[in-house]
Amino acid sequence: MRPPETGPPTALLCGEIRTCLLPARQALDIRSAAQFLALRADERVLLSERPTLYARSPDTLTGVDCPLPAADGARVRAVGTVAAHAVLTEGRVLQTSARFRAPASGPDQRRPWGQYLIRPGTVEPLGKLPREPVARGVLDGGRQGDLDVGLIADALLTRLLRHPLLDQRPPMRSRPTRLRWAALPAPSGAGPSLERFTLAEDELRTVRLRVPEDTPADEIAGLCADLALHDWLLTTVVRTFDGIRLGTGADRDGSSVLRALGPAVDHLLHLWMPRARVTPALARLWDPLEERPGFTRQWDALVHRIRDQLALQAIGPARREVEPAP
Amino acid sequence: MTDAVFHETAAAPRTQAVPLAHLSLELGHLYMEDFEAGPGRLRRHFAEVRPWAEAARAAATARAAATARTGAQRARISTCFLVDDYFTRFSSPAEVVPMLLAEADRAGLTVDYLARESGCAVFGEVPVAEAVAGRIVESPPPSSHGIRPPAAQTGWLANGERSPAVRAPQAMKRAQVWRPPKETAARRHSVFLDTELFSDGPDGRTWSCPFLAAVWQLARLGLLRHQGEAVLSPRPHGDGGFPDDWDDLPPLLRLNPDADPFTAYRTCSVLPNRFLPVEHAVRVILDQTEVDPGALGQVAVRARGERAELPDSVADRVSYVFYAGP
Repeated sequence: MRPPETGPPTALLCGEIRTCLLPARQALDIRSAAQFLALRADERVLLSERPTLYARSPDTLTGVDCPLPAADGARVRAVGTVAAHAVLTEGRVLQTSARFRAPASGPDQRRPWGQYLIRPGTVEPLGKLPREPVARGVLDGGRQGDLDVGLIADALLTRLLRHPLLDQRPPMRSRPTRLRWAALPAPSGAGPSLERFTLAEDELRTVRLRVPEDTPADEIAGLCADLALHDWLLTTVVRTFDGIRLGTGADRDGSSVLRALGPAVDHLLHLWMPRARVTPALARLWDPLEERPGFTRQWDALVHRIRDQLALQAIGPARREVEPAP
Repeated sequence: MTDAVFHETAAAPRTQAVPLAHLSLELGHLYMEDFEAGPGRLRRHFAEVRPWAEAARAAATARAAATARTGAQRARISTCFLVDDYFTRFSSPAEVVPMLLAEADRAGLTVDYLARESGCAVFGEVPVAEAVAGRIVESPPPSSHGIRPPAAQTGWLANGERSPAVRAPQAMKRAQVWRPPKETAARRHSVFLDTELFSDGPDGRTWSCPFLAAVWQLARLGLLRHQGEAVLSPRPHGDGGFPDDWDDLPPLLRLNPDADPFTAYRTCSVLPNRFLPVEHAVRVILDQTEVDPGALGQVAVRARGERAELPDSVADRVSYVFYAGP
């Protein structure tokens, strides 16, 4: 049971998610995943086997007392804790997620620390919260010394990547991605909506949402992790085609195609399952992305392309016979 | 997704509930030096404790009656006593416990629950102290944006910023100017406290007295869980005597079969004033410990249900009476 959400209503929810391939030759089974994600001795790792193998670590908290990033340059000091956790999907894709919620206003003075700890994952402004500038500030990135939840997600990722269960031999090359998100309250009576999903440079994605006020931070972070996971899958599989020279004759035995595409088949193709861990109310936020640009459409096209390439390799000798003689 | 047909128990967090009294009243600690001072020391102790224990009872009863829904509600109050068997082993339960109970009885006091201090370090198979240490979230001094070495590494926890280390001046360099430490929640002037949580030696880790006392407070407040299960649950004492070895005595023993629950909304400890620095450190530790949110939520819901007044902050649920004495 989670505690009832106490305190003032949420005016802003923000977070950042890092997604990367687990640097291990073999995917972790569910028991190893539980061991890997046991960040706290006294709290269980949540494990689920349907519809995908999924393991979620307990939350860890980091205390902060610093200005919030604000697009208009306002300096709003805020105090509280940022909650971070890690998730492993199919023992293969590791995500760390840091998030906080902020009320519309807080006391003018910092309170005793124990009072912040009873509302884990809440960062309270001293005074009023300029929610729109802060939401933009979080998505655009703040100045040095501003609250940066990405650093906290990164610290947890660094800590996990040193775990002795990992042999540091990933089956393929890939790059981690970052997804920053900010959720503002939806107008009263309106449902949740996805306002913007931006593919920025440097493996950075930003997501801007509107959600009803009582939506738990956990569920929004879950939706964003689902978006981050699938965006990372697309990014990574698209990249596997980079550097392969298809149909040029330079790779007659097809070994480079197999070398590049084989690991994607072994480790990634079965992971595509949008909305698998998203609450029904938020799952429909996938719809606009499926409409345009069409995440699943692109994925299906990539999967067909991989299968076609592998099929071509399998019939390689026959194909050579029909090639025109020089 | 609570309305779903499909459920996985390992995928959902769960927290065992514990029974709750209004007040857990601690009648004292017993250390080797107290025991060596003879029964006269215990007699004087209980004689000093008696009036304060009655005052604490009266206050708890008045508080319960003031908030009761209908008529006068009986305050549920349990008493407890802690014997040190962690730092020094002395005598045997067979010798100590009957003497202790006789002296309490002479002063008109009943000891409902008897605890061994080592139960706060490790209870059965559960590493209680280690788990609590893992839940420390340090209070961030201003300008902390999330990157600090955690207390878990240094073994020390402070209520503010330490004075920077002053190194001997090197030739051609000016000596560093001393800067004072700073209490984060200071009112104009600091009362800085830096407490040792543990020390590591050839025989492993030894938890400090203040740290175990903080665990003891959390146990009495019903806020300790191990993977969702309650820890430090009392075991009933049969009609037989007491064993010759402390290890054979359950870590938490219910001596009075009619006693109210061991765990309570609030605690009060009556102690000689030599414990003042230890209990100040306990407060610093409790103020920076994030207790199990599930347990915290259960206690809050129950308190609301019977209109019991419950401070938000865990450290504020703890109270003391210090009497002048050795």
